[in-house]
Amino acid sequence: MSAPEVHALGTTPITSHAFNGDRSQVAVSLNSNDVTIYSRQGKEWNVTDTLSEHDKLITSIDWAPNSNRIVTSSQDRNAYVWQETQDPQTGKMVWKPTLVLLRVNRAATFVRWSPNEDKFAVATGARAIAICSYDEENNWWVSRHLKKPIRSTVLSIDWHPNNVLLAAGSADMKARVFSAYIKDVDSRPPPSVWGERLPFNTVCGEYSSPSGGWVHAVGFSPTGDVLAFASHDSTVSIVYPSGPVIYTIKLNSLPYVTLTWTAEDSLVAAGHDCQPIVFSGSAGGWQLVGTLDDTSTSKSNGGTRGFGVAGSQVGRLNSAAFHTFRQADSRGSSSPTSAAGSGATDTELLTVHQNTITSIRPFSGSAEKVDQVSTTGVDGRLAIWDVNNVAELTGKMGALRLH
Amino acid sequence: MSHTVDIPQSLKDSLRKFRFARRNAGSAAIVVRVNKQKLIMEEVETFDDISPEDLAEELPENSPRYVVLSYELVHSDGRKSFPLVLINWAPTSSEIGLLTLHASAFLDFQTTADVSKVIEVRDGAEGLTKQTIDAKLL
Repeated sequence: MSAPEVHALGTTPITSHAFNGDRSQVAVSLNSNDVTIYSRQGKEWNVTDTLSEHDKLITSIDWAPNSNRIVTSSQDRNAYVWQETQDPQTGKMVWKPTLVLLRVNRAATFVRWSPNEDKFAVATGARAIAICSYDEENNWWVSRHLKKPIRSTVLSIDWHPNNVLLAAGSADMKARVFSAYIKDVDSRPPPSVWGERLPFNTVCGEYSSPSGGWVHAVGFSPTGDVLAFASHDSTVSIVYPSGPVIYTIKLNSLPYVTLTWTAEDSLVAAGHDCQPIVFSGSAGGWQLVGTLDDTSTSKSNGGTRGFGVAGSQVGRLNSAAFHTFRQADSRGSSSPTSAAGSGATDTELLTVHQNTITSIRPFSGSAEKVDQVSTTGVDGRLAIWDVNNVAELTGKMGALRLH
Repeated sequence: MSHTVDIPQSLKDSLRKFRFARRNAGSAAIVVRVNKQKLIMEEVETFDDISPEDLAEELPENSPRYVVLSYELVHSDGRKSFPLVLINWAPTSSEIGLLTLHASAFLDFQTTADVSKVIEVRDGAEGLTKQTIDAKLL
């Protein structure tokens, strides 16, 4: 049972985060046009690089673990592939961007490398998904569009382990599975539960939840035989295509916007409720298990539980006086009493994240058995959770404090 | 008129040979590409007796090409003729610089090959079928 590791990377929302292969660096977009790369030095994360090329907000980042390339997508309708090369003048390693023309006329919302890292998929607001692959002949990233039958912005995508199938969640309230087979890049995939003989843009399945609602997050299970999606009607649905059987879990909490599988029979979802929730099940049924954020333990002054900020080891910088000023600076509250005492002026949540969690990614372990997950949110914090540390969801209605 | 891309004499000879080759049955095609580094046109390959759908499979998805096609056309009264058709194969996913070069040299190629009928195929393999060619020629 280990407490989550929390790092405050800033006060601005973190739109997206991606760790590199050995988890020594993380690329983060702090709600801006630039990517900030943090490197782990001891117990903290320090800024080592800033990648500036995009003209508008960066919506999503993905870091390919084996080929060490970063792909970023932005509201400026472009994507850049960044490669670490040696600068000829200084000899240092710098990140060199390559523009990828997506040929869309709306913002790009989400990007993910394929499992073999030879293609990547970009979800866009142009009712299309751009599948980009590298054309050796012309030295150029080529994009092909998955269009039919998407009717609105695509919000999230996830690749199947076979490098061909792609799940997409869209604002037209549907979760779909497409075939993104590119002729010269992929070899014919073996038949799976989703179908066989799949030319580009075949729809292998289209699913929605009972009350509808934007599909914010989709994810394939580690083997790729099961699909999970979270939609805005506060449900999480798990689809077994061979039936087809869909298990929908309706929740009392606010909707989830991101999810990730931790094993073939369990997944973690997070969203507007500000805490990661674990679900578990099999082909026979699915249910909510608990939360990774144990809100029932009593919190010390101001809830600085497990804070990785510099100075937490040193006693004198952790006193109440310093904390009051830190509170006043970051949260604007000037109350001299501790946060737990005052009722009316207190705006702090019991959970680790103080605002919506926007992104949850596997951190350590294999795809079949993830040990830790990392989350970032609108509060500017990065947290790393132990997946086995599941606590029961108490009657505190998630993070809401009732007096 | 300035010529951005040169057409070597060997290519002109190949085109003449293709034009006057006796055809009995089937459609034949000669595929030409623009070499961006050397700024010349070069012949890629020639097909004897290939269907439009197979030709669409052979052509690259992300690169522009010129295709001179000797198409076996069956008229409504049963006659068979073999008109020459020039296909401007220019998928939109091609690299922009190459696409512009290809477009600028197209008129030149057309006068060299001396073909009057032109079919533009901009969307890749879906745009080159027997139906589209028949529609243009009949």
